[in-house]
This record gives sequence, structure tokens and C-alpha cells, in this order.
Amino acid sequence: MPLVYSDMPLSEVVENHTSLIPVINRFGIRLGLGDKTVETVCRENQLDAEFFLMVLNTFLNEEFFPEKKLQSFHTSQIIDYLTKTNQYYLRFQLPNIERHLNSFISMSTSENPSLTAIGKFFRSFRDELTARINYDTHEWFPYCEALSRKLKGEALSQINKVVTREEAGDTIESLLSDLKSIMIKHLSGEYDQNLCYAVIFSLTSLEKDIKQHNRIRYRILTQMVSGMENQLTS
Amino acid sequence: MQRARQIAIILPDILHSIGLHSLLSDYFYPVEVSYFPSFEQFLIEGNDQFEYYITDADQFVLNSEFFLPRKGKTIILVRENITNPGGHYINIHSTQETLLSTFRQIFAVGTSHIHTPDNNKDLSQREKDVLQLIVKGSTNKEIADKLSISLNTVLTHRKNITGKLGIKTISGLTYYAIMNGFISADDIDI
Repeated sequence: MPLVYSDMPLSEVVENHTSLIPVINRFGIRLGLGDKTVETVCRENQLDAEFFLMVLNTFLNEEFFPEKKLQSFHTSQIIDYLTKTNQYYLRFQLPNIERHLNSFISMSTSENPSLTAIGKFFRSFRDELTARINYDTHEWFPYCEALSRKLKGEALSQINKVVTREEAGDTIESLLSDLKSIMIKHLSGEYDQNLCYAVIFSLTSLEKDIKQHNRIRYRILTQMVSGMENQLTS
Repeated sequence: MQRARQIAIILPDILHSIGLHSLLSDYFYPVEVSYFPSFEQFLIEGNDQFEYYITDADQFVLNSEFFLPRKGKTIILVRENITNPGGHYINIHSTQETLLSTFRQIFAVGTSHIHTPDNNKDLSQREKDVLQLIVKGSTNKEIADKLSISLNTVLTHRKNITGKLGIKTISGLTYYAIMNGFISADDIDI
């Protein structure tokens, strides 16, 4: 897929890839883009255009992931972006899936036990993701920020090492993929096809977003953190 | 998940290689294409794990001691229509439509014996037993003891269950078992 560059009109890019709408929203950019270029939109919203483009391009192209370049950004930029994606999952994507799922389950004729099980599976996934986000917000991200501030010379007392939340066996990504797989391969009984598609569609869009989040999380932020830890101990 | 088809392109012409690469990955998912600009390069970096080799007539003739025994796995790019039942030929002047259907025919012959019939996808009774114990939270060791089978057999069953159902996580397996009545929701703590 062709890359997005700073002199392109953002509206054109978004028209071709509507899946970017939630991504630009989380940078505080709203629709009604006119013909402004990416650069202009970024300037008006006080965004680092280079960072913004990097996020759009890695989101659009699964193959495109310039690790060196991404690691050259500031820790707080990366954390800020990951926090925004987390908030988006909590405030919009999870409730959205749940809304579709609830009508899917209640609109389907008669009691279908397999739908009830899917509902429960989703809720256990939701709880797992919520727990990870809470841990990020209260433990891991503050720790990453503290390391970075200390490296800049701020006098901070002892920082206790925090690691990312270990996902006990089942990862967020594999739970999501199983949830989809159960619906696509193993659904039985009577159900509303249209609502079923709405559920799968919203799951797929969350799955894509989380995959992208995890790439940044594990290949960029985790690397940055261990780099900072080494610098501080040596 | 279907295993990716491994394909080696051994061609000096980089544009042909890029074209083939995108044709294969756009239309024949999942494929894994490796590109070698020369046969020498292929000998250094390549291995013998490829399902198909794509090369041109010159390379084929120059390195016939390698390609002849692998004729059934070799696709030769040519500049005219050749219908020789002994080999696979792709005319580089053909239309995209013809290219696609030729590749499709070649690949279809290669995989016809791999496809498993659908009824093999159902779990065997033994696999159902193992699944029930997994979702109740038993460890592999406990499952082995309970069913009087070896630890290795348990692992094989687990691998087959995941392969057949396409479900990897314990939660996923649990809800699958509930949906199919292998276990009731009261038996486990969810």
C-alpha cells in the first residue's frame, strides 16, 4: 500500500482508508478536513507531523514498521499514543462490541445456548483487556515515564522496577482471534445473521487496532525501557 | 491455519521477480516467496524446503543437474506457449487472467492429496475426554494420570484439538466445550 506523506491532503487519505478515522480522532483531529495537507492539519493541532505519519503508515501497512525511526521518538510520545489507544478501547470499542453483541444475543429467536456462551467469552475477554489497561495506567506507564525523567537529570528517589503485565498464558490477541474463530467456525442454532456480522466486524476492527498497539508496545516501548534501565544501572 | 506455500524465485531479472512476487502474494495467500538473483546465490542462501522453483529456460538448462530431478516442482518462464505434459511452463507474454489460471492449475495438482476430508475435523472421543479435562483446569500431568496415557500423548491430543478447532486459548476451548455440551457451565468456575 502506498505510504502517506506530509504534503498529501488528509481528507484524500481518509477517504481511501476510512479505518483511519478513529486513529486521527485519537490525535484530536475531527472530520471536516477540507483540503488541508497532513502538515497543515498537524500544525493546527500542534502535533509532531513525523510521529503522526509514522503512526498512520504503520497502521495502514502491516509490512511497514521502521523500528529504528520509531525508537528515535520521545518515550512520552509513545506512552501518550498508547494511552490514547487504551482509552479508545475502553470508551468506544469495547462498549460498541458489547452493544452489538447484546442485540445479537437478545434478537436471536429463542434461547440459543451457544450465543450465551459467546457473550460470556466476550465478557471475560473484556475484563482481561480492562485489567491490562488499568495496570498500564497505574503501574507500567508511570514507571516508564519515571525512568525517562530520571535520565534527563531529575532527582527522583528510588524507582521500583515494574514489568509489563504478564498475560497468564492466553494473550489478548489470541483471545480475540479465538472469539472470532468460535463465531465463524462453530456457531450453531438460530441467530440473526446481520447482527452477527456487526459483532464480527467490530471485533475485527478492535483486533487490527490491538495488533498495531502491541507492535509498538513490545517492539518499541519495551525496547526503550530496557535501554533506559541499562543506562541507569551502568 | 493453512501452511504457507514456500516458493523460490531464481531469476536475474528483478522486475520479473517483483511481478511474480506480487502476483503470488496477492492471489495465492498464503505464500512465502524467497528471491535469488542467481543460481549461485540460491546455492549459498537457499535450502531444499521449497515446494516450487520459478526460473527461466537459461537457468534451467545451465543447472539442469539440479532442476531435472525437480521438474515437477519447477516452473519455467518462457516466451511462447508450450504445452509439454512433463513440465510447468508460464508464457511471460500471457494476460494476467491466463497467468493466474496457469498458476492455479499447477498449485492444484500439488495440493490435491494434502486436503483432508471434512469429517476429520470432528474431535475423536479421546480428544473430547482430554478437552473436558483441559477446561476443568487439569494440568497435562493430571490428564495423563487420569486417562492412563503418556504425557507425550496428551501433548499430541492438545495439538490436534487446537488444529482441528482453530482455537488456541483455554478460555476459547472452554466456551467451545460449553457450546457443544461437552461440559456444563456449572462444572467449571467462569
